[in-house]
Amino acid sequence: MNIPKLETGIAAFDLISEGGLPIGRTTLLAGSSGSAKTLFAAQFLAMGILKFNQNGVFVTFEEQVEDIRNDLKSFGWDIDQWESEGKWTFVDGSAKEEDVITIGEFDLSAFRVRLERSIIKNKAQRVVIDSIGSIFTHFPEHNIIRQEMSKVSMTLRRMKTTAIITTERTEEYGAISRYGVEEFLTDNVMILRNVLVNERRRRTIEILKFRGSNHVKGENPFTIVPMKAVVIVPVSAMNLNQHSSSQRITSGVQELDQMCGGGFFKGSIVLVSGATGAGKTLLAANFMNGGKDKNERCLLLAFEESREQIFRNAKGWGQDLEQLEADGFLKVVSNYPEVRSLEDHLINIQDLVQEFKPDRIAIDSISALTRNPSERGFQEFVVALTNFLKHEGITSMFSATTHMLTGGASITEGDIATITDTIILLRYVELTGEMQRSITMLKMRGSRHDAYIRRILIDEEGMRIGAPITGISGLLSNNPIVA
Amino acid sequence: MTNYWIQLFINRNSTTSVGAEENLNAILKKYFPGDYQLEIIDIQEHPDKAEEACILAIPTLIRKWPQPEVRLIGALTVQTRVLAGLGIANVDHLLKQKEN
Repeated sequence: MNIPKLETGIAAFDLISEGGLPIGRTTLLAGSSGSAKTLFAAQFLAMGILKFNQNGVFVTFEEQVEDIRNDLKSFGWDIDQWESEGKWTFVDGSAKEEDVITIGEFDLSAFRVRLERSIIKNKAQRVVIDSIGSIFTHFPEHNIIRQEMSKVSMTLRRMKTTAIITTERTEEYGAISRYGVEEFLTDNVMILRNVLVNERRRRTIEILKFRGSNHVKGENPFTIVPMKAVVIVPVSAMNLNQHSSSQRITSGVQELDQMCGGGFFKGSIVLVSGATGAGKTLLAANFMNGGKDKNERCLLLAFEESREQIFRNAKGWGQDLEQLEADGFLKVVSNYPEVRSLEDHLINIQDLVQEFKPDRIAIDSISALTRNPSERGFQEFVVALTNFLKHEGITSMFSATTHMLTGGASITEGDIATITDTIILLRYVELTGEMQRSITMLKMRGSRHDAYIRRILIDEEGMRIGAPITGISGLLSNNPIVA
Repeated sequence: MTNYWIQLFINRNSTTSVGAEENLNAILKKYFPGDYQLEIIDIQEHPDKAEEACILAIPTLIRKWPQPEVRLIGALTVQTRVLAGLGIANVDHLLKQKEN
């Protein structure tokens, strides 16, 4: 049996949860302090109002109502307005200034009455309780509170509301929550994490379990964006069902088109690997310039050079990218890799793509983005990025820098080689006391391709590919032997 | 003019509430005869008032006057603690005053 789900409206979350939160049930959302529990919960209500016309009740045991209203304004949610329209109701259970003394037995029936009344009055379908841990700090009698909160969860169930109850964790990898609330809120559990990796914060969301229902397993990174709130990067939810095109487009270099049997496949991912100065940026510039004939729109994301440097260099190769941009067919965006986290880079690239709608995209270089993050984070980023670009049907060229001048491979390639369709190696080779540049097609999915290692020449007309280097073996392993 | 204004929020369906009402009446009659105003509020009948006062627990006693507000939660089973909570620490002194 599969329990039906309530679409949350938090886009990627509905993907990783395979449809949203279990409908009519309560989900425990656990996270350390600063893990964005309150924001995620509030977004659940806000999306309900904005996208599905479903009203919500927000119970706060922690933050003051006024603070929550103010904090949520930065995401473009006008809580005041929704309150006056009866779409959003606060139930204020936050701690107040006056002293509270407990003498003898008590229950939380007043809270339950208030909650029930707000749900009925508002016809609320979504409820948030933030956070259950705070009510344990209000009242020292934890047995009573546990008992009472379990009654609250039964009330929510009876009222057929889909609810999120947040709870604190003291460590990122350990017990689900403090105070043992998972004993009665056990059916559906999600965890938000905010872990320090290589001096950078990495936020992830994990669905631990949805009883009687499917979901994606494991951690998915997310980031917090102004006006959008929580944006999840669904790595593990990727599906490999993108259609592949047999239509060819020009690489921008005539000889290279010939090498790969008539050009790149439309919508494919091309990886260009090479040491510094081997011609990667040139190839990217050619790729952009190649879009000119058919009026394709091109997006160049530069992480190593400024716009001015790129324009100047391209001029030296006989390509007027500046004019191309002025004509509206090219957009060059130059960024330092360090300005944002990988998740934010990804969101930014997605935004640029949605806005500019390019047919081609070049990223020079993708390895520049490995400067900070963890290896796993980078892999996830590349998977999510290629997934997105393929889905959009954009032909993409990523360049990757190798550390050794001759031979060798970079970590980057190891991570992404398997998900790219075409790999081009640009290598320096030492031949009879001379450094020469070479180009090789290492792989091209779905097509016959040239297998030679060819000389390349770079001059004022750009890149020219010459004859194969013959009679010598071991070139790419940097151990040339004359046959 | 009375010197004490006290609200007691109860839920008529709960046994602890009945106990609290009795305990409080006994204390008030004994220590503050004629000197108090007591308002019993049943949250089943007046959920608005519970909302307004942000009541979570039942029973909850609020000492509205004298200021500052004080809140006592529970069945009010321990007299000395209730008195201390209401701001009267020296009970003997108070009783003597009444006798004179």
